[in-house]
Amino acid sequence: MKSGLLRGVKKILVSRLEKTDSSDAEGVSALAAFGPVPAMAAGKRGGSLVDFLRQVTLFEELSQAELARVAQSAHERSYRDGESIYEQGTPGAALFLVRKGVVEILRRKRNGEEVSVLMLEPPASFAEQAVLGADVVRWTSARARGPVSLVALGYSDLEALGRRFPLLANKILLKLAQIMAIRLQLLLEAEFFGGEAPVGSSQNDPQP
Amino acid sequence: MTPSPSRNSSGTFFKSLTVVAGLLLAGFLIWALRSLILPVAVGGLLAYICYPLVAGLERFRLTRGLAIGLLLLAFVSAGLFIVNRVRAGIPDDAGVLELRVRALHNVNRRYQALMDLDPSLTKGNRIYQLVREDLDPLLNRLNRVLALTPEEQSRFLSLHPQSADTSTGSDRLQDYHRENLRTLEVRARPAVPRAGPGDRGAATSAAAPKRPPKTPLAALAALLSTWVVAPAVFLFLLRDTGEIKCGFLRVVPNRLFEPALAILADLDRALGGYVRGVFLESAALGISVALLLALLGVPINWAILIGLVSGATNPVPYVGSAVALLAGLAYSLFSDEIHPLLPMIRAENVALWMVVGVAMIELAKNLLLEPLLLGSTTKVHPLVVLISVLGGGILFGVVGLLLALPTVTIFKALISSASHQLKAYGLT
Repeated sequence: MKSGLLRGVKKILVSRLEKTDSSDAEGVSALAAFGPVPAMAAGKRGGSLVDFLRQVTLFEELSQAELARVAQSAHERSYRDGESIYEQGTPGAALFLVRKGVVEILRRKRNGEEVSVLMLEPPASFAEQAVLGADVVRWTSARARGPVSLVALGYSDLEALGRRFPLLANKILLKLAQIMAIRLQLLLEAEFFGGEAPVGSSQNDPQP
Repeated sequence: MTPSPSRNSSGTFFKSLTVVAGLLLAGFLIWALRSLILPVAVGGLLAYICYPLVAGLERFRLTRGLAIGLLLLAFVSAGLFIVNRVRAGIPDDAGVLELRVRALHNVNRRYQALMDLDPSLTKGNRIYQLVREDLDPLLNRLNRVLALTPEEQSRFLSLHPQSADTSTGSDRLQDYHRENLRTLEVRARPAVPRAGPGDRGAATSAAAPKRPPKTPLAALAALLSTWVVAPAVFLFLLRDTGEIKCGFLRVVPNRLFEPALAILADLDRALGGYVRGVFLESAALGISVALLLALLGVPINWAILIGLVSGATNPVPYVGSAVALLAGLAYSLFSDEIHPLLPMIRAENVALWMVVGVAMIELAKNLLLEPLLLGSTTKVHPLVVLISVLGGGILFGVVGLLLALPTVTIFKALISSASHQLKAYGLT
């Protein structure tokens, strides 16, 4: 279940966990660093937006018609190598899905140095807090590693979808809550147990 | 390799030139297509109002097309019902003649009673001495408007022959007509009857430049050619499920994507709230005015008509209530008999009740409804309201009057949101 919920994220994070020096002062930041772009990171080329959305964990509970409705509200964006997707400290207005390429998540230290936190590949989603409606200020930055295609879904888009199709929005928000709970658990495991699951928890299927 | 300063400055110059050219072009297009502004705005605003209704119907698993169809059906049914009710209350040609005779008689009678005028209509009470210089010319002008031309008089007399039974309404109208003629004759400056259609043509043909005659069909075609845009815009916007927004955001650079998304959301919230607020406020005003007039004894068809006009003109500040007051006062002055629903209202004091009632409605609208429906986000300084409405009226006529406030509201929301979001994203 965990691997299903963290599609696109887990591979990189776990592969880095194995090489992590748990004594690193930055803790979570040190869990991931620049790594070679995975062979599959270019993602599947071609295919419609609905086909892509079907692969995304966030939308896996949605029917074909519901996926089409999400696709109508989604924004396709293209980024050049090194281009900023968003900056740390700015407000969040949209969540992003990696359609093609690799996205690097960075955290800026107090001294201004940027540390890589995560590398994301298709069909990962990131910056989901933005669609939860709170006045979210981003605590990381995101940058394109090579040419990247993203799909963005704004808070206002999800709000509009919710007005028309409350059940659809509810499904997305429920899945979002699950993903965020799993991520929190992974981060806690990485921070306090060096990637080892604590006693009493199931490594394969943690309950969110 | 860094670009040279001269290349930078020439780039900035061309960018500025492009922006100025774009603004000029936009201004020219707005001016050239100003006849389309009102239909487009009306279609767009109606779509905004109806969007939540369609979304509500979609929740019942109706397709968007079907939801829009049902909404249109409801609108058409309501429109036909209202038009039928109103049309039933609008008099025909003969009715208009009767109305003018009755109005002329009642206005003069009430003026004479109020000013305590003697039979020569030149001496009256103290009030008359004070206001005669101002009110007499006004009354004479009104008399000129209401008086029947010789052709209309003969038509009126043929429609209302003298009968043996003196208690009939027809005879009463004949009495009114005779009194009207006498009053017009007695007045020191006799009112010249309004020119008939034929006379008017002859009188104005010499002064006015010759224009090609416009047949009613051509006038209708010209009106339709611009107003056909309104339902098209309405349906197009209502059918849209985010394509327009996506299309706009597609051309926005990546660094501005999220700020643009946030600004659009703010604008949507502000405009949607404003439009829905004004619509609800106008509906409340229209219903209140119709109820007030019905209570004061105005026939229900006229009360609904005046309520509709009052509600429709409410987006122009103070005009909705002014229309209600003027139309109500005109009715109470012109009408022959008034049958109010409340016992304390009589023909002599109905005008006072009208003023008090409309003032209370206006107060309730300003103090209760506006804060509740419009909130403070769309609040604009009264001076800005005045200048924008007058400026809109001078530049674009009625269209400008109607759309001045929504335009100011949109710009206010745009500037406020853009400055906030660009600052938050570190772009300023």
